[in-house]
Amino acid sequence: MANGISSAGAAARVARAKEIRGERELSFAKKGLFTAALSGALWGLDGVVLGMALAMAPFTGGTSIYAGGLVGGVLHDGFAGLWLLIYNIMTGRSKEVFRSLNTWPGKLVCIAAVFGGPLAMGGYLLGIKFAGAAYAMGISALYPVVGAVLAQIVLKERITPRVWIGILACVIGAFIMGYAPPEGDAMPNFYLGLGCAAVAAFGWGVEGVLSTYGMDMVDPAVAINLREATSSIVSIVFVLPFVAGLPMLIEAFSHFDSLWLLAIAGLVGGASYLCWYRGFSMCGVGRTMALNITYAIWGLVFSYFMTDVELTANLVVGALVITAGAILIVANPKEILNLRSEA
Amino acid sequence: MVTTLPMRFRIIHFFSTVDEASVEQLMDGLRAEYGQEGQFNRKIFDEHIASMRQGGILHDRDVDLNDKDELVQTFAITDYGRDRLKYLPKSFNG
Repeated sequence: MANGISSAGAAARVARAKEIRGERELSFAKKGLFTAALSGALWGLDGVVLGMALAMAPFTGGTSIYAGGLVGGVLHDGFAGLWLLIYNIMTGRSKEVFRSLNTWPGKLVCIAAVFGGPLAMGGYLLGIKFAGAAYAMGISALYPVVGAVLAQIVLKERITPRVWIGILACVIGAFIMGYAPPEGDAMPNFYLGLGCAAVAAFGWGVEGVLSTYGMDMVDPAVAINLREATSSIVSIVFVLPFVAGLPMLIEAFSHFDSLWLLAIAGLVGGASYLCWYRGFSMCGVGRTMALNITYAIWGLVFSYFMTDVELTANLVVGALVITAGAILIVANPKEILNLRSEA
Repeated sequence: MVTTLPMRFRIIHFFSTVDEASVEQLMDGLRAEYGQEGQFNRKIFDEHIASMRQGGILHDRDVDLNDKDELVQTFAITDYGRDRLKYLPKSFNG
């Protein structure tokens, strides 16, 4: 009898322990979704600050129409990398940076950086040049779809039909927000431009999957630090020389009014990148990328208060569609508890 | 030269050498290598473990409450997690 009572007590204790464990796991899943959404909010703010910096000297000049954006992008990523390095030093992760670089997963994160940095950004800018901003932005906004498909194949990530609809809604919403009637000018390289924009979507999607694979073995805070450093260095060595960007890069260091704005943008961008990579590791590539795209809404909100943006119908409709998509994605955090199907 | 692994990678390796372990046992096992670093704290370990469990590198094993009514749980490596050991550098002397 006494044994019966004690075994019943033990069973109740284990049941209570399982309940607490379930609550903790669910809390972690929700934290992952929040982190992914926060990456979007910070990215929206980053875009507004970066836009203000790029509207100043020396980024408005240059011999190539891309030099300003690319040099600004390199400085932004460079500052973000420095802020992230400070964060890693302060949180006791500084030794992890070189340890990670010495392993294959760390190198994989660097390869991912080339896909998501110079390749995707180059494709995006060339897409705008050849096909116009409306089509290039619309096609490049497909990156969450590319990321989700690749994550299903490579990482065996589970994505339910409801989440798929949410991802597609986020992409369609971003397309609606970015859409503007095509310019009337003839575009002889229109299809080349569409191809370049598709390279951007592919590059960002591949980056998410490769880096997430690497982050199974490398701390996300260290991975994003490696990503920013690689992206900046590769862009300086292999991209800027082709757009006459190096003189502008040097000149930028004598324009403190725009440089400090870029440093602030790099701080906000670094925080956004950190949340983005942590989101990959916590709630998967497909969900994080789609929640990141809410930056379009946040960018609109911050622009409304910080600049003189005009709220048009397609901005409002697009924002509503993205919001509906995001709600579909976060609706059931329990499905993240076992994110990968083969595991 | 003996390589020190990134801590997250070392956690996977640690679980490949034991049948199951709690976070306390894991931290005891890694204290000699990483104990002097700022990242060696319970909060960061809990995050690594939660992320690895969610990603299928580790799975839950036993769970119970101790005398103070605190959760005590153990984890074990999955085949999916064990597969990651193929990326161990040759210079790592595990």
